[in-house]
Amino acid sequence: MTSNPIDDKRIEYARNIVQANNKNAYDKSLVINRIKELLPTSSLLGKLKKTFTEGEIVIKEHQQNDKLYIILDGYISQVKSGAGMNTPIDMLGPGDFVGLLSFQTGEPAFTTTKATKTVETLCLDHQNFELFLTRYPEISKIIQGLIFSNLSERYRRVVTLHVEVALLSKQLEQERNQLQKAIAELEKTRNMLISQEKMATLGELTAGLAHEINNPASALLRSVEYLIQSLPNMAERASALPDTGLVRFFFEAGFKREIDASGTIRARQKVLSETYPWISRGNIRLLSEMNEAVFAKIKPFMDNKKNQELMILLIEAYQSGVFLGGIKLSTSRIEYLVKSLKSYSRQSGAEPEVADIREGLKETLMILGNRLNDIVVTEELPEIPLVRCYVGELNQVWTNIIINACDAMDDKGELIVTCGKSDDDYVWISIADNGPGVPDMIKNRIFDPSFTTKTAGGEFGLGIGLAITKGIVEKHSGTIKVKDRPKGGAEFFIKLPIWKPAK
Amino acid sequence: MSQIYILCVEDEPEVLDVVVRDLSELEEVFPIEMAVNAEEAWDIIKEIKQRGDKIGLAVCDHVMPGQKGVELMIEMQKDPFTQRTRKLLLTGQAGLDATIEAVNKAKLNRYISKPWDPVELLRIARDELTTFVIEQEKDMLPYMAVLDIERIQEAIRTKGTISDY
Repeated sequence: MTSNPIDDKRIEYARNIVQANNKNAYDKSLVINRIKELLPTSSLLGKLKKTFTEGEIVIKEHQQNDKLYIILDGYISQVKSGAGMNTPIDMLGPGDFVGLLSFQTGEPAFTTTKATKTVETLCLDHQNFELFLTRYPEISKIIQGLIFSNLSERYRRVVTLHVEVALLSKQLEQERNQLQKAIAELEKTRNMLISQEKMATLGELTAGLAHEINNPASALLRSVEYLIQSLPNMAERASALPDTGLVRFFFEAGFKREIDASGTIRARQKVLSETYPWISRGNIRLLSEMNEAVFAKIKPFMDNKKNQELMILLIEAYQSGVFLGGIKLSTSRIEYLVKSLKSYSRQSGAEPEVADIREGLKETLMILGNRLNDIVVTEELPEIPLVRCYVGELNQVWTNIIINACDAMDDKGELIVTCGKSDDDYVWISIADNGPGVPDMIKNRIFDPSFTTKTAGGEFGLGIGLAITKGIVEKHSGTIKVKDRPKGGAEFFIKLPIWKPAK
Repeated sequence: MSQIYILCVEDEPEVLDVVVRDLSELEEVFPIEMAVNAEEAWDIIKEIKQRGDKIGLAVCDHVMPGQKGVELMIEMQKDPFTQRTRKLLLTGQAGLDATIEAVNKAKLNRYISKPWDPVELLRIARDELTTFVIEQEKDMLPYMAVLDIERIQEAIRTKGTISDY
């Protein structure tokens, strides 16, 4: 039944209001002082005196009470039970009555009163009360006034409390509105941060992809430029050949070229440049690339020192074929990259799809290829049941974890991506690295939005990647944990519920 | 007379083809050697060294399986045989760190990003080879055909003056 300090304060506050509102009340000290004066000489009063020790209950709520107490010294707390708690009502001090209502009306006590410290009271039953009033008529009048003042004080207090409750409600309402506004604001900021982090991931991916596309794009561009020059040339001169089919033959040979070991090519190059000193180095280089069957067809044209035109034409045809092959290869590489990107970043629809999450994992590894140049990636991805999910969002999960692993390993090391079925209800995906691992101290914090090991500047992200990751996994009713690998490094272990078709 | 080689290192054959094609104008004077990785590049470097020839220019991609382009160039800078070789990084994938390392530790001479302009690539290669020849060769005449004639003539004049003393 201990009340907390805030409640005590409120009582104090209420008392102050009451006293401030109660200037016309009878002076309580008057009667108390008079009683105290009489006490040493009056045997009646001496008998009526009753002392309560700290914590002692004066009157218990709901019980009948036939006594009236006048407090002479000390304070008594008044507590009302109900609604599963004890509410402090008032603190009664010298000159206050305890049990006035139950004493007068005979109804059960309305509150529990308890001594806060040692309290001196005058305890009157009905008989004593009459006796007391008769014996001390000079106090009797004051007592009556005091009773009236006590009741009116209580009434004023009720009024004050009503006002206070109204004020509190108004304040609460205001605070609630402010809170709602703050929550809306927070939600907005959170969404902004998430999309900023998404943009950052996207930035990293785009940078990687731009690099990834650069190589085939260069090959493509340069090959096309070469063909623009060489094709009209070839067409013009092809009629000079005894067999125009030869151009086609060399063109196709170049297109289907399979490169021999560089040592073999260099050995051939050496022999050829010694045997045919009149042929230019560039042409010798291309001739030494040709396999035996192709070489046999061009050899007759090589021996003619005076007329190299036809040999050059066939070499050009061959190289055009090589470049066209390069164009085909580059185009399909770019196409593959773009296709992967499209499928990787597919926007989540309103409805989740039933998908094989291994595909998203593989696409993510593909897209991040640029970051994984120096990382030995082991994929052990046996068939697992389908999962109902937002594919694009899960791809963000894989991306965040893999990029973190790359950062942790300084882009050098090994990455092991595995999956499996853990029981009838879940599949698991594990992404492990052999970096420094996650120190125990921060294991619990790495998924917090406010936690990052990334220093400001020079990084793409905001460091809330893992918080978003966790959010996405939980949205899919899954779990994510980070563990230590026995051989060192960190392992992120994700469990997702298996899709169960509706019966 | 020893040969001065151009060494091209690039792991993607279709890219290597076009790089070599773009440099083929220089090939009659400066034979081109091709390597698809750093390991092969070292085999070629050793071979050229054994023959008593030189490498005037190395054109390297950065991102390759095994040793990276920048690492290869740093190694070349440490080796007295390839220290004087002009070094050109042709890449779309070297980050700032790798590039700074290349400049500081490999004395990288040029950086060209992919995709490149063939005229610019040829001009730069010619310029670098001109520098190499001026610095390394007493007799510059055999190389003049494909080099920057003005710079060679200027160098011949200056060197001539110096040797007059």
